[in-house]
Amino acid sequence: MPTDTKRVRGPEASQSPSLFLCKPAAVLPSRGPRADGRQRDQVDVRPVFVRCGLVSQAKGSAYIEAGNTKLMCCVYGPRETERKDETDMKCGRLTTDIRFAPFSCPERGSWIQGSQDKDLSLMLHESLQPAVCLHKYPRSQVEVNVMVLENSGSVLAHAVTCASLALADAGIEMYDLVLGCSIHQDGASYVVDPSYAEENSCGSVSGENQGGLTVAFLPSLNQISGLQSDGEMAEETLTAGVRTCIEGCYKLYPVIQQALSRAVRRAAPPPSES
Amino acid sequence: MATVKVSEAEKVYILHGIRDDLRVDGRGCEDYRHVEIETDVVSNTDGSAKVTLGDTAVLVGIKADIGKPRPMVPNEGYLEFFVDCSANATPEFEGRGGEELGTELSNTLYKVFNNKHSVDLKSLCISAGEHCWVLYVDVLLLQCDGNLYDAISVAIKAALFNTKIPKVHISADEEGAKEIELSDDPYDCMRLDVENVPCIVTLCKVGHRHVVDVTLQEKACSVASLIISVTHTGTVTCTRKLGGGSLDPESIFEMTEAGKRVGKALHAPLMKLLRQEESLGKTRQKVGFLG
Repeated sequence: MPTDTKRVRGPEASQSPSLFLCKPAAVLPSRGPRADGRQRDQVDVRPVFVRCGLVSQAKGSAYIEAGNTKLMCCVYGPRETERKDETDMKCGRLTTDIRFAPFSCPERGSWIQGSQDKDLSLMLHESLQPAVCLHKYPRSQVEVNVMVLENSGSVLAHAVTCASLALADAGIEMYDLVLGCSIHQDGASYVVDPSYAEENSCGSVSGENQGGLTVAFLPSLNQISGLQSDGEMAEETLTAGVRTCIEGCYKLYPVIQQALSRAVRRAAPPPSES
Repeated sequence: MATVKVSEAEKVYILHGIRDDLRVDGRGCEDYRHVEIETDVVSNTDGSAKVTLGDTAVLVGIKADIGKPRPMVPNEGYLEFFVDCSANATPEFEGRGGEELGTELSNTLYKVFNNKHSVDLKSLCISAGEHCWVLYVDVLLLQCDGNLYDAISVAIKAALFNTKIPKVHISADEEGAKEIELSDDPYDCMRLDVENVPCIVTLCKVGHRHVVDVTLQEKACSVASLIISVTHTGTVTCTRKLGGGSLDPESIFEMTEAGKRVGKALHAPLMKLLRQEESLGKTRQKVGFLG
């Protein structure tokens, strides 16, 4: 295993103090209201705060906050492909990258990209690719970099929303905005836009229907560009979950549109002096 | 992924055929190619299986090691997956070319088995908090002709069925340190219950219809596909949309329903075949790699 010589790391055998808790973390009840006051079994997404154009050096950027989940995304491009042998004459390339800051999750992560980061980057790429008009940028590449500053649940869904907002802010031509929404199914009830504790709860009843589902959706075109689920669910639950996520995306759409139009108005050139 | 270049005329031909439920090799839209499964092919492993699905060949070897359980679940063992796309399959996989595909396949396998019921992890525990069995599932792609997920999941199920984990005996030493003893009898082993191990079904959207078990030519004509992993009871453990195109919500519902139907129907014949092969015992003809 290659050692990381660039960074000062903690001792090899260090463990998170949460393993030594006297009493185990309370299992979240699968009935009754959620910890942050939202409702179960209803499309109750966390209120989002979005801003575009935060990073001055990037072509386009966006920052999203949903509850305690904080993400920022920067878009660079279209620019010349770095690796000449992979230049595509007919359409551009989209590269995506999600990174978690080491302090973002309750357990300290590492700076080196793990397989989970690579997996999320791949899913982000699959979700964004149908929406971007890559055929308008032949021989070029568009880079999307998402940095997760704090992970408090449904990271992939918010990363998709943030990335498509940053792409729009960069002026990359797209067919539609891509919005993400996720749910966590716990027995017979589901929670939309789960927090970190809700996402990782093992569930009090170890029966059927335990799992998470993330959907990336293009609202104007009514197309699903990304779908990912794990855990175990019946097929009807899965179908109902997808419908719920689509509803969640529709709820988010006006907020994102408003943030984007505000950013465009702010960036409109001032009237000339002379 | 290994790709073939397909001309526009050929794409139109394939699309029109699938529209009429007729594929290039004469199958229907929900038919699999000829599958051959053989278990116990590699003697150094605790369980192995080789699956040939049309021209796709996959070899899975499972080795059981004694390790330390994960801190949050001290009374369970775990599985580690690794998929290696060897350069034998296609020259695109030479060096690090196959690494991306290998990581994607491994990550999907982790998701498929990320639930309580697929494999009974508690049976892999030796002593809580100290020792447990770790099953290293290593998948090797020998030949690649489309539909890797299905072949890999069938091979993993067959290999897990074939796995023989030696029985261990814990004895306390004089100082109180625990000693692990492996039983001397090589046939004294524990078998895994693979009833709930899911199988992955890949459905590709070609034109307006979805197709099961695509070849590389058909894959070049599709923009998006959906993989769905189904257990024998019809429970879905993992779904994932692959590819650079988008899907209609209605297509997704149709595809999950078809995937569940096809996946559920896959388990019974597979288990029957595995049990039959096992029952042959010493009279079994070993086909090996050249058969």
